[in-house]
Amino acid sequence: MSGVTARGAYERRMAEIRGLFESNGDGLRATAARSALVDEFVLRFWSEELQADTSLGKGVAVCAIGGYGRGQLFPCSDVDLLFCVEKGMEKPAKEPIRRLSQSLWDCGLQVSPATRTPGDCERLDEDNPEFALSLLDVRRLGGDAALFSRLQDKSLAKLRSRDGRAIGEALARLTRERHAKFGDTLFHLEPNIKDSPGGLRDVNASHWLHELRSGKRLILPDGVEKGRSPQPLMHVDHLPGDRIEGGELRDAVAFLSAVRCFLHYRHERDDNILDWEAQDAAARQRIGLTGRAGSGVDAAYWMRVYFRHARVIEKRLLREAESSGLQVETPASVKRLRGSNETGFRIKAGVLELEQVSPRGLDVALEPEIVLSAFRAMAESGACLAHSAEDRIVAAIPLLSANLEEGPGLWRRLAAILTGRQAGHALRAMHSLGVLELILPEFHGIDALVIRDAYHRYTVDEHTFVLIDTLHGMAAEPAVERGKSRGRDADKGGTREPQQEMEAWRVRFGAILAELQNPALLFLAALLHDTGKGRVGESHATESARLARSVLQRLEMDAYDSSQVLRLIEMHLEMSAAIRRDIFDAETVRAFAGRVQTHELLRMLTLFTYADITAVHPDALTPWKAESLWRLYMATANQLDRSVDEERVHTRVSVGGTGFWRKDEKIARVLALLPGREMEMEHFLEGFPERYVSTRSAETMLQHFEMAQRFDEDPFQMTFHHGATQSGSVVNEVTLVTPDRPRLFAGMTAALAAWGMNVVTADAFANQAGVVVDTFRFTDTFHTLELNESERERFLSSLRDLVAGRTSVEKLLSSRRRPRRRSPRVPVETRIEFDETASTHSTLLQVITQDVPGLLRAISATLSDLGFNVEVALVDTEGETAIDVFYLTLQGRRLTAEQEKELRTALLAAIEKNSR
Amino acid sequence: MQKIEAIIQPSKLDAVKDALVEAGISGITIFEARGHGRQKGHTEFYRGREYAVDLLPKVKLELVVSDEMKDKAVDAIISVARTGRIGDGKIFVSRVDEAIRIRNDERGEIAL
Repeated sequence: MSGVTARGAYERRMAEIRGLFESNGDGLRATAARSALVDEFVLRFWSEELQADTSLGKGVAVCAIGGYGRGQLFPCSDVDLLFCVEKGMEKPAKEPIRRLSQSLWDCGLQVSPATRTPGDCERLDEDNPEFALSLLDVRRLGGDAALFSRLQDKSLAKLRSRDGRAIGEALARLTRERHAKFGDTLFHLEPNIKDSPGGLRDVNASHWLHELRSGKRLILPDGVEKGRSPQPLMHVDHLPGDRIEGGELRDAVAFLSAVRCFLHYRHERDDNILDWEAQDAAARQRIGLTGRAGSGVDAAYWMRVYFRHARVIEKRLLREAESSGLQVETPASVKRLRGSNETGFRIKAGVLELEQVSPRGLDVALEPEIVLSAFRAMAESGACLAHSAEDRIVAAIPLLSANLEEGPGLWRRLAAILTGRQAGHALRAMHSLGVLELILPEFHGIDALVIRDAYHRYTVDEHTFVLIDTLHGMAAEPAVERGKSRGRDADKGGTREPQQEMEAWRVRFGAILAELQNPALLFLAALLHDTGKGRVGESHATESARLARSVLQRLEMDAYDSSQVLRLIEMHLEMSAAIRRDIFDAETVRAFAGRVQTHELLRMLTLFTYADITAVHPDALTPWKAESLWRLYMATANQLDRSVDEERVHTRVSVGGTGFWRKDEKIARVLALLPGREMEMEHFLEGFPERYVSTRSAETMLQHFEMAQRFDEDPFQMTFHHGATQSGSVVNEVTLVTPDRPRLFAGMTAALAAWGMNVVTADAFANQAGVVVDTFRFTDTFHTLELNESERERFLSSLRDLVAGRTSVEKLLSSRRRPRRRSPRVPVETRIEFDETASTHSTLLQVITQDVPGLLRAISATLSDLGFNVEVALVDTEGETAIDVFYLTLQGRRLTAEQEKELRTALLAAIEKNSR
Repeated sequence: MQKIEAIIQPSKLDAVKDALVEAGISGITIFEARGHGRQKGHTEFYRGREYAVDLLPKVKLELVVSDEMKDKAVDAIISVARTGRIGDGKIFVSRVDEAIRIRNDERGEIAL
């Protein structure tokens, strides 16, 4: 047959196969048909060689290997041929094999021929394990049958028995490397349906692992030689598993095979990337879906179907690997937990298994507390969930849902999962089993959701998990720096390798993480920040915040924490928007600081922005962006401390001389809570620093207003809030509302110190009418308030007595238990700075020093003793550094240089004395 | 053909892109860059810690235009990137001998 005739015939037949695929959409049938067609051509050309040289009839077996060996040839896939030759036949067979390969190339086939003796196939070539794997699917097309039997029964049997384990290990390694290229996730916006996790290669890997472990050989039909046409052979036919699972896997393979055929026809080459345009076209044509006659479907829906099938394939592979004792995922370092045998589950060799029966006599999988504790242990240790446990949890979901109690207990459990170093790992498991949606149905809307833009790499849910992984990764120890002599500090940028530079930035931003007061809030905001993408609305940040509000209500989270989470979600895009503006422009910084208002929110927002950009795409955060983000963070932090006293609330503002008055939106909301008494409320708010209004909820401000109305009964109005335990510490809050008087702030700090309370943050504000609102957030060093509820009342009345002057500071302090001093891990040098430019009527004092118990008391007592009035106080702690800012006046005036000098000396002495 | 390289303030990027599109130029390449000209480095303090700032974030644009479009493109960039302050950036113009579209081997101005 001439080359031209053969090519014409091949193309005609290929067109028929394509026509059939386009009419019935059956990818498996199309691949089997192409495989049979190629068999025909290979045998036809081989018989021409035999006619020319009959001696080739013995000593040469023509075989198909790899995908072709399995009888599955996708429209543009390569054709892998093995010429198995007797020793000594290599030379006589060389020219005929070359001619046959040439003829196939002339037909338009991409042929990869390999010539080997049976002996060559007996051993694993460690540099080419792919060849050994392709031999596992060898199929004879023609030629010497006895030689083929010898290859099959002796050489390959030997390969399997001797090197089977090594082949399995090589396969696991190749799979790990392949998955790593795709960030170990199948949730890509434009996945490669062959190579990415959950792709067709994973189907083959499952099959090979099964075959290597069980020793069961997949018997393939003997080609067309015996006059039989090969049937489509799916690896799934030979995999274990129950009927439902087998059915799911069959459907998944059928779907992906149809998609791969579609892509090959569309791209006219072996290109398996499911890009957006291809997704649209596939959805329009209902590729892989049953009932092809119907109209097209939405691309987002079609992609969810794809991800569902890919998950089935990935799960199958993981189970097969577990049965084989192999690791096909990049292993997480499994940390040993103290007391690894907790109630209801145990961790052994990195695998978490559920017990059968709980102490209450119920199936453990039905107990939400135990199931969530198990996920917490996964988040802390990185252990995997045993597959039997997965099955039990999935089966238990409806009853788990009925047994689930919401409220603070659920938040405590969720927070423990979110703050575990391997939270992303545990959350992915919870998501795939339906447990995450059980707790947060709001997450369902972004399940495998593809939102198209030019930057994102992952689906919305996976982006969320990568973000959480990134945040935890920021806390890791710095990688050992190589080539340090070449590098320069991250401050200076420039000559470092980008990877080293990014590592330096990671470490620098990571230090902020250690300074957070309650990291669980940041992680919760991270988990919910994109849930709004599943809804149609004004902006996804607003929609996500709306969804988060109902989550926070169900978790019964306290008002302060809720507001932090909501503001983070609402503002999560603002910092990346701000770095596109002129970050050296004071107005940009001032406007942004005005939005952020507190250091804690700034810290969380900075970390969030860093991780959010990183989670978009591995290359999205460049040193350039990291540097801009850092500059904005620094400038805003500086601005926050220096603007508070100047920016005061004016409830009525004239607009451009039009005679209209406008009210701030937040103020309008507070006023709406008090119909008929708006004027009184306006009077109360007038003159507070704007930070007071922007950091308090409308309800909290209303509460303060009401407290101020009760001065007749008691001028020292106080509220106490016992915080929830988070990450082992409790942050309590006490707020004092009272008419201004000397030594108030100093009195409060002394009383708190006397009770052994360690102030974490504090602020003190006053309005125009001289009403003071002082809020202290503190930890309870001796657990006094936590252990004895009756002590809370005694504590509050002692505070009241002290600020009212009914008892002396000295008396309280004499009974003070002095907490044990730890030597500091990071020594902080004391710096005292004054700034006269920050305010027109007060002097800013900033004290930066080692945070030790009693520090704030020592500072504020010094200020009071010298007669200074604290107009505004902002007290903050970053790790072991205390940063306290005070706006001071002396008899209504700013401080003179002489007074500053005197104060500096007194403060240094007081800080030194307190630290001893 | 002329190559225009412009170093501008990052905050002016969107405005410059719009101005170029309005002038009839659509193909540009953008680089994140850092550097300093007459603006020298300085030290910033943040909560008691000291950070050196000696390179400033900039954006570099590169575009190749036909000879007659050169002035239009330069004017478009200047019109929006200029604030009159130090740090507005610079524009460099140089001659380009050849342009080739890889897809179809078109050469010269048609490939722009």
